[in-house]
Amino acid sequence: MPLPVKDIIDMIRTNISKRGTPLPISDKDATGWTDGLDIPMGGETILYTGLLYQLNPYIDSVVDRLDKLDDESLGGLLKVGKVFSGVLDISRFFVKPDKGDIMIQHEKIRRIALLLKKAGVEFGYLYKDEMYSGVLLYDLGLEDDFKKHAEKVFRKFKEHNVKKIITIDPHSTHVLRSIYPQYIKDFDIQVKNYLEILVERDLSIENKVEEKVTIHDPCYYARYENIVREPRILLGKGGLDIVEPEKSGRLTYCCGGPLESLSPKIAAEVAKYRAAELSSYCDKVVTMCPICYSNLRRVARGIIEVEDISSVLWKIYGD
Amino acid sequence: MDILQNVSDEIHRALYIKSLRKGLSRSVNRLVPAPYRILDRWRYLLEYTEELREAKEKVLQDIDYYIDLTMKRVEETRGHAYYAKTRDEAVKLVNDLVGEDKLIVKSKSMVTEELRLREELAKNGNTVYETDLGELLIQFSRDKPMHTTAPAIHITREKAIRILRKHGVEVRDDMSTTEIVGMVRIFLREKFVEADIGISGANSIAADTGSIFLVSNEGNIRNTTSLPPMHIAITGVEKIMPSMDLAFKQTITQAAYAGLYPPTYVSVISGPSSTADIEFERVYGVHGPKEVHVILYDGGRIEMLKNEVISEQLYCIRCGRCQAECPIWQLVGNIWGGNVYGGPMGMGWTAIVEGIEKAASLSHFCLLCGKCREVCPMKIDMPRIIRYLKTYYFKYVRKG
Repeated sequence: MPLPVKDIIDMIRTNISKRGTPLPISDKDATGWTDGLDIPMGGETILYTGLLYQLNPYIDSVVDRLDKLDDESLGGLLKVGKVFSGVLDISRFFVKPDKGDIMIQHEKIRRIALLLKKAGVEFGYLYKDEMYSGVLLYDLGLEDDFKKHAEKVFRKFKEHNVKKIITIDPHSTHVLRSIYPQYIKDFDIQVKNYLEILVERDLSIENKVEEKVTIHDPCYYARYENIVREPRILLGKGGLDIVEPEKSGRLTYCCGGPLESLSPKIAAEVAKYRAAELSSYCDKVVTMCPICYSNLRRVARGIIEVEDISSVLWKIYGD
Repeated sequence: MDILQNVSDEIHRALYIKSLRKGLSRSVNRLVPAPYRILDRWRYLLEYTEELREAKEKVLQDIDYYIDLTMKRVEETRGHAYYAKTRDEAVKLVNDLVGEDKLIVKSKSMVTEELRLREELAKNGNTVYETDLGELLIQFSRDKPMHTTAPAIHITREKAIRILRKHGVEVRDDMSTTEIVGMVRIFLREKFVEADIGISGANSIAADTGSIFLVSNEGNIRNTTSLPPMHIAITGVEKIMPSMDLAFKQTITQAAYAGLYPPTYVSVISGPSSTADIEFERVYGVHGPKEVHVILYDGGRIEMLKNEVISEQLYCIRCGRCQAECPIWQLVGNIWGGNVYGGPMGMGWTAIVEGIEKAASLSHFCLLCGKCREVCPMKIDMPRIIRYLKTYYFKYVRKG
């Protein structure tokens, strides 16, 4: 039974307008990655997480629930619709992220921050004031909601006098760098991705990692933001043997993630296709996007091992 | 129930149709790599795409002029030219030319799918045979074309045998594909010979000569357009090219991006057959058709030129490469689509031929991954069109 598309869209929309994020995330889960790092609040240059890594365990939990709903015969859409109209209010109970997963996500962001520090980059963070980018609204076609949200996010950046933003995932990178300027007249903040910065700073390696891996380019890096060289340079310096799949770089293949909210089934089918293809090159796959990571991992247990690039970079450049 | 939920239900149902999934995946594995090999080897094709995009821009900016010019040139070749604004006008034109109780052979044409021409002709007691094997399978199984150039791409070999046998083609389960094709040849041969009328589309039409270009590998188009005494060609106005050379380039570029190059046949048809072999007096109607009718079909295209975003879809040369490469299309084919067009190109095209509302509901199942734009020979920004449609949905279809 396919999910009630309208109700899902409404849930996302209402959540973002009321809570600022597609799913309700606690402050602790959003900012906990900074523990012990002494990152200053605010500043001209900030690291912007866009909450995507942190939201991932939440998304996983919802997709898991949706997928089960999808499978069950619930005796008509109406009933599913009811379940969903109630979701908003009970979403704190409905969404049960795995605590271990949250710690894993925090560790990834922590490593990205440490690598930037090691490269000599000075940056702050907005902590509780950091807002979700609104990229999902943009992707769903909720243009008015997106514009309103983006304006709020921009105002928040301005309140903190932010001039430069370092992004850590493809979706936030694309939406801040290429889409915000189309919707916000005075958008004057420079946006750079951490992979670009690490390449520019020519970070020196600590360890050689002589491993064979294949690489999964996220669509938004490769086709929309032209970030293709950077991960390869960074991994290559560490001695990794990168096996390029046929569908790589600008010709990469989607992980299915963008449809995970409207249809976990379709998203999973696309992910299976991609995972099977990648597995024919190498059973170790490096991803660069939290959404690709969880979509591929969801279907690929036992076929391929998925690792976020931040973890691999840590092995090469970390202490 | 609203269209959006219907679309969702249909796509989800399709995910579980095993034969569809199997058929698609077998074909996709062969279809996707083909254009890469072709473009690597015949690199001039890449230059053609740029020339074609420019030419298309030129034609569409001045479409009325090019329609007039094309019609004038068709008449100069002793062909008859018509312009049909609406579906009803186009169907009426064809019905008036065809009449009743005729035997008609047809080559595959997406425009005739837009017109649902087979069904319309049958209403008047006409018998119609599709002569493209894929389209014949679609006709027999009352299915819809799943791909722009390979309509039966989702039908497995096993299923094809069952469909053909049911409709009188003498095929057996143990036959090889070559043997199956041999039986289809026998089946259609008499239809070609006896047909009163041949109906085709066109891959291009040259405004400077009024020549129609048709590409095929099966040879069915040659038979369809030369054996019957009357040939009717129907084509969308966006197929007009300023000149003969560009029309040729459009035709072979489409074939290349569809994965078959060089195409076995390219037919160039400029009016009815003729001879000047007796005292150099040119007379018409020799071995080929005595009459050639060319219908330039609008069907929402010119109106859509006003839409700055969706109009870009009209640069499409209909190779279907965006479909073959699309992760969603690979799962469910044109079931993710309107009545005629599906997949990435099918979003813009459905907006053009069936209305923006319909396309807006379909658009939500796009990943916006952008692969379609990357592989499109015309570099059509399909993700932009689809984003526009998604936005349109919330602005006008489902307000508030």
